Amino acid sequence: MLRPLQQSLRLPYRPLRTARLLPSVSAVRSLATHSSHSEAGVADPAAYCKDYVRKRDYESYLIGGFYPRHLQGPFFALRAFYVELASIQDNVTNSMIGKMRLQFWRDAIKSIADGRPPQHPIALALYDASQRANLPAYHFRRIIDARDAELHTPTHLTVESLTRHAESTASTYFYLLLSLLNLSSSDTFSHAASHLGVAQTIQVLLRALPYHASKGRMIIPAEITARHGVRQEDVFRRGGNADGISDAVFEFATVANDNLLTAREMFKQSGGGEGGTVPRVAMPVFLYGLPTRDYLGRLEAVNFDAFAPSVQLRDWKLPWKIWRGYYKGDF
Amino acid sequence: MSFARALVAAGPSARLAAGRVTASRSLALAYRWHSTAPRQQQVDPLVSNKPRDYLNPGPPIRSPGTETATYSATNEPGKDYDPYKDGPSAIDKAVHLFFFTEIIRGMWLVLEQFFRPPYTIMYPFEKGPLSPRFRGEHALRRYPSGEERCIACKLCEAICPAQAITIESEARLDGSRRTTRYDIDMTKCIYCGFCQEACPVDAIVETQNQEFSTETREELLYNKEKLLANGDRAEAEIAANLHADHVYR
Repeated sequence: MLRPLQQSLRLPYRPLRTARLLPSVSAVRSLATHSSHSEAGVADPAAYCKDYVRKRDYESYLIGGFYPRHLQGPFFALRAFYVELASIQDNVTNSMIGKMRLQFWRDAIKSIADGRPPQHPIALALYDASQRANLPAYHFRRIIDARDAELHTPTHLTVESLTRHAESTASTYFYLLLSLLNLSSSDTFSHAASHLGVAQTIQVLLRALPYHASKGRMIIPAEITARHGVRQEDVFRRGGNADGISDAVFEFATVANDNLLTAREMFKQSGGGEGGTVPRVAMPVFLYGLPTRDYLGRLEAVNFDAFAPSVQLRDWKLPWKIWRGYYKGDF
Repeated sequence: MSFARALVAAGPSARLAAGRVTASRSLALAYRWHSTAPRQQQVDPLVSNKPRDYLNPGPPIRSPGTETATYSATNEPGKDYDPYKDGPSAIDKAVHLFFFTEIIRGMWLVLEQFFRPPYTIMYPFEKGPLSPRFRGEHALRRYPSGEERCIACKLCEAICPAQAITIESEARLDGSRRTTRYDIDMTKCIYCGFCQEACPVDAIVETQNQEFSTETREELLYNKEKLLANGDRAEAEIAANLHADHVYR
């Protein structure tokens, strides 16, 4: 009883010593794992964003390596921004707090455009990205508005409304990447990116189905679950054993697969690159199709049981698949 | 339950009968047989034990007729008597039996626990598990470079339902806004965690420390130095907890 009390009394008088200790500790750790995030923070926003993406979204971290070196920093900044906004909803218990955080980002985008970004590492990295490439602010605003709407209606009734939401978030993020690579004028790329965004959104939702079910949220649109007679409470309680859930997952995954195929067909038809492949310059954007295709393939292998442990794990062959996809020009 | 039911349903007399039944079952059955069973002689038309009245002989003795030939075992007199009519039902007796086994099982559980190691932990030295989302003492975090995270956006001050947070800020020479004062009145705080959720830079967090009792009230009025010191002490733990339950869609 007395000891913790004394500790808390003594602590205010030695903050400086511990503060000086911390960077050196993390530097020692970083030697073993990673070499560039020892000074991450407002001093080095790019390293912070890269580290953030590595921890939160490993697939994007793998994809980031295929961007030209001078665009890797901006890529990680955009992805960190996207992940940050996407995770707000799960970090808040109250939609008002979520709206406040989104308002912070609205203001941040505005002040980045005005040339005085807030002292947030992601905002500073975005400011740096906007100096290097022409990133239209309306794309950022569209993502923020879509996340804002999602705070109020986290589930969707129809596939159509989900598709619209996906186009405002994931597809818009791909438009930003195309702008980053200075390819946004191409209709083929934009159209393929919109379909890829839908496929990727559905993939992420399906992968997180057990998580959302544990929180009492049904992320498969009600239109699909009603068609297969899925009872939501049944899914929350029994998971993959619920009646009709695998049929609903199959239909939902089919929507993702259709969008993915449409995006791939677009390059076959237009013959954009050499022999129907994706041109090398645009390939980093469309590498996002590979994790999606990989996930859908593994889901098929377990007969569309989204609760199976094997589809919850990260695929160890993914780095190889991404590397091969980049050099084959296919996704 | 069975006792109460017997009392309510039939009153004290039934309880008396039940008492007799439990005292000696065979004797009680014999007793009830004599007192309540209809006497066969009265029912049997062929036999009478009354003295015969010769002056007024009454109706002549008749043969039971041919229908006795069709009698089955159910027509035998006195056979419709239910010997369990006034006693406890089979369910009541089963309840008594299972209550007894319940007691035995409860005592067996006690016996098992007697040989097991105790569940209690030596609290100040051993501690129970805490959720990564546990909300305890507050802390202000720094970036790994040592720079403090807080950018004085005052979202935590705005959302705080108990108005426990007070922030004053000013711009530094390099143009960034920083707090000059960040006070939390821990006696007002209700540990709702809204400040942590509202913070766009993950600067203010609630750590898992719950042992910060003090001797005076003034020590619970935390200032920025105290909060930063908390953050420095628990940084590894905070980062691990934030990463433990991250998810995005």
